[in-house]
Amino acid sequence: MADFVEVANVTEIPDPGKQLLEVDDRLVVLFHVGGEFFCIDDVCTHDDGPLSDGDLQDHTIACPRHGAKFDIRNGKALTMPATEATVIHETKVDGDLVFVKINER
Amino acid sequence: MAETITSCGINQTGFDEFLQSRDEPGWLLDLRRSAWHSFLKMDWPTRREEEWMRTDIRLFKPDNFSLPGELPENVNLPSAYLREGVELGGYSSSLDSRSVEASIGKKWADKGVLFGSLGRLVSEHGDLIKEHLFTRAFNPNYDRFATLHAACWSGGTLLYVPRGVVVDQPFHTLSAMSDGGVDFGHTLVILEEGAEVTLLADMASGDDNHGGFHCGATELLVAPGANLRYVSLQDWGQRVWHFAHQKALVDRDASLQWTIGAMGSRLAKVNQHVGLVGEGANVQVNGVMFTEGKQHLSYHTLQHHEAPSCRSDFLYKAALQDNSRTVWRGMIQVDKGAQKTDGYQRNDNLLLSPKARADSIPGLEIEADDVRCTHGSTSGRVDEELIFYCRCRGFTRKEAIRAIVTGFFQQIFDRVTIESVRDALGLAVARRVRDYE
Repeated sequence: MADFVEVANVTEIPDPGKQLLEVDDRLVVLFHVGGEFFCIDDVCTHDDGPLSDGDLQDHTIACPRHGAKFDIRNGKALTMPATEATVIHETKVDGDLVFVKINER
Repeated sequence: MAETITSCGINQTGFDEFLQSRDEPGWLLDLRRSAWHSFLKMDWPTRREEEWMRTDIRLFKPDNFSLPGELPENVNLPSAYLREGVELGGYSSSLDSRSVEASIGKKWADKGVLFGSLGRLVSEHGDLIKEHLFTRAFNPNYDRFATLHAACWSGGTLLYVPRGVVVDQPFHTLSAMSDGGVDFGHTLVILEEGAEVTLLADMASGDDNHGGFHCGATELLVAPGANLRYVSLQDWGQRVWHFAHQKALVDRDASLQWTIGAMGSRLAKVNQHVGLVGEGANVQVNGVMFTEGKQHLSYHTLQHHEAPSCRSDFLYKAALQDNSRTVWRGMIQVDKGAQKTDGYQRNDNLLLSPKARADSIPGLEIEADDVRCTHGSTSGRVDEELIFYCRCRGFTRKEAIRAIVTGFFQQIFDRVTIESVRDALGLAVARRVRDYE
């Protein structure tokens, strides 16, 4: 069972903004939107595109390859060509630090 | 030839030390320097390149590995499945790209057959090796892995069969890797006109959980009328990064049967290229893949018909469980003059878990107008009705799935004529199948 891992300082990522991270041998994207932090796999479930290179609009990230959009709050696929949710990871803020707990799925 | 160096990093200092320790002909050292120069100028592949779009190597950290070093004092080699019960004409083994042992039967040595560590044989047979190494098949500038291999290959295997010699006993080679080790072995097989031989190659770690880095290459050169059977079983530990360039050139009326078992590694990216360069060449390729956990196996095959009246037949079958992933991208390329080509390629995938994923991308590029080229691909889950049928006859669910998986691969096992290979592949598959609800 994975534990929370310290990944960033709150001030490191602008709001709105995103950062690619390597946590527990896994590539994930950490988002800072509306004062909250969210974390999902850096994988578009359609074609494995790197979501970290995509455009962030409010709580939606678009895959740079084919435009599939995902909700960064729950990983859900919002538009074609993706139909399956990408994996989300739990986040928490403690003081100035952001922590991520990797979902082993 | 003595190969005594200490382990050194994949950097300029490490390469200089590696080179200084090599007691090799000048032409080979020049070849290594040239490849290293290319290596320094290139970047690692990224997913912006079509070939790497589905294979993510951002977590691959080359700095965690060293160039091939000294052979450790205590050598414990893992089991070699392909040789079990086989009367061999010769055998060789290596650990972390350093030769451990090599032997060839006197009967074959007397007929001029050469077999053993390429790194050791290059001092005695430099002229023969120079003529073939990296000259026709392997392209040392294909990508950064190819340049690294060309600069730093070590150990490896040479099998040379002179004109007209028919070897009726298989040769066997085992490439072993310790936890965190490297394998930069280069396999060079040269069959002269009318020669015939079988080579069995095991690649294995001591434990399923071992890590490491394999950066290898294979060159199979089959002259007119020759007949080669080559079998390789990749069974590295599940934390090994495996990158390989493999190419065969099959000449007039020659034949090649190439069987691949891909079971191990964390991530594998393999380019398998067969060039049918002489009229009437005949190639059969059989691929068996079984993945589990988070394994990612990516095979890119090319059957290149350069001459008329050649036949190529590629069949890859993969069974996937857990969150594993395979990518198979196959291409039949037919040149303008390659009339009367008969080309076939097929990839079947059996998904044993809802989270497994198989990408299958067959392709054709045909410039000739009198050919027969077909390709196909299937992907699907285990049929619950089949499981129900088996369970009605007393099988447990696991036994039923195992029987279905074995049946799925049977088409390939039927094509493999060597009993030990059928047994080794069947055993490797059977011991991996788990129970699924």
